[in-house]
Amino acid sequence: MNEMISIEAAAELIRRGTPLSLAGPESALDLLPAGNWIGGTIPYFMVASGGVVVNEGKVFATNLSTLGAVNVACYGADDLAAIARHAPDNGFAITIIPAGGECHRRFADDAANFEGAFLKPTVGWIAGVHLDDLGRQSPKVYDGRTATKYEDRAVVAYVDLPADKTVAVEIVNLFEPEDGDLLNFDTTGFDVGDCRVNGERVNFARYVEARGLAHGRLPLVGDFAGAHVNASLQHVDAAAGKVTLYAPVFPGVDYRFAKPVGDYAAAFRQRLAALDNSGAVMACNCILNFSFGELEGKAIGGIEGPVTFGEIAYQLLNQTMVVVRVV
Amino acid sequence: MAVPPLNHPCWQRLATGGLSRIKTQHLGTQLMTKRLERSTEPAHAKAAEIHAFFAKWERSLPAEVQQLSTL
Repeated sequence: MNEMISIEAAAELIRRGTPLSLAGPESALDLLPAGNWIGGTIPYFMVASGGVVVNEGKVFATNLSTLGAVNVACYGADDLAAIARHAPDNGFAITIIPAGGECHRRFADDAANFEGAFLKPTVGWIAGVHLDDLGRQSPKVYDGRTATKYEDRAVVAYVDLPADKTVAVEIVNLFEPEDGDLLNFDTTGFDVGDCRVNGERVNFARYVEARGLAHGRLPLVGDFAGAHVNASLQHVDAAAGKVTLYAPVFPGVDYRFAKPVGDYAAAFRQRLAALDNSGAVMACNCILNFSFGELEGKAIGGIEGPVTFGEIAYQLLNQTMVVVRVV
Repeated sequence: MAVPPLNHPCWQRLATGGLSRIKTQHLGTQLMTKRLERSTEPAHAKAAEIHAFFAKWERSLPAEVQQLSTL
């Protein structure tokens, strides 16, 4: 089950012992009883009819009960390596982390280097808030075992699959790198001063400004051995010479700015129609796709799920849809 | 095709640059390949990680496993 349900229906599932991964507004998640669930705040969702904004009264529920044994855990910023370390040998870790905190930053910087990161996949998303509430409300995650919410911890639902099943983690990234300038960065981080453009050291903020890309609609696209991994622009301050990103850039990775995408909904529909949805467990898409692609009210097909402040498929992604299947 | 044992010379080759030549669309393989490219860990540690990865995902990655001893 992947669907929007009432608070009462979610509470009843929890009372029956159903393991759930939940997404919704804080006012709704606050009302749920303790049980075998994790949750994170977000008011944006892609459902069959299109993108929707839900400010109260409902949560989006992913029912994990048919997959295998599910165990919930919760980690602080110093223990994020335990997400993969404690994952079942044949399974995966659904993980929700609040945006903007130390957990978010350290997971983004280090996730690929956690022991077992590619043996026991971590998937999930970054919790957020309504865009109108940025700076006034903080994203939260919930450890359902005690129905406790946190501003800077990672909550995890470990899914232990039967021996004849395996997890498949796939992404849909609409963005292709342009053919132009090659960008490299010498340090890992969300905050960027200088970079190298075709080998020449320049200030990144001033480069972005000069190219007219400070609007942030186009991410950097990193070449990770053929996989396109985006780092999206959050804020460009050319005067201060600083760019803040929604995901870190890494040394040793070639980046280019993305080519523009015209009709996001049509592009998603085309890509998702070609995607094998068999055994789909969960999906999430990015708030920047929702916002820049004007997806509210536009159906794109594929799996329903939350629209998030970052997506997790082994490591943090931006402006990307993640689909998790058990096959 | 089965995953070669850890003492097969292919793992050392893969750990010292061969893995970068693998043809794959599998996200986990691509991200691990980049991680190892960027890593300063010794080759034997990388070889063990690559072996463990393909032993784990052997059933899901037959096309990639077939390439291992040729890279």
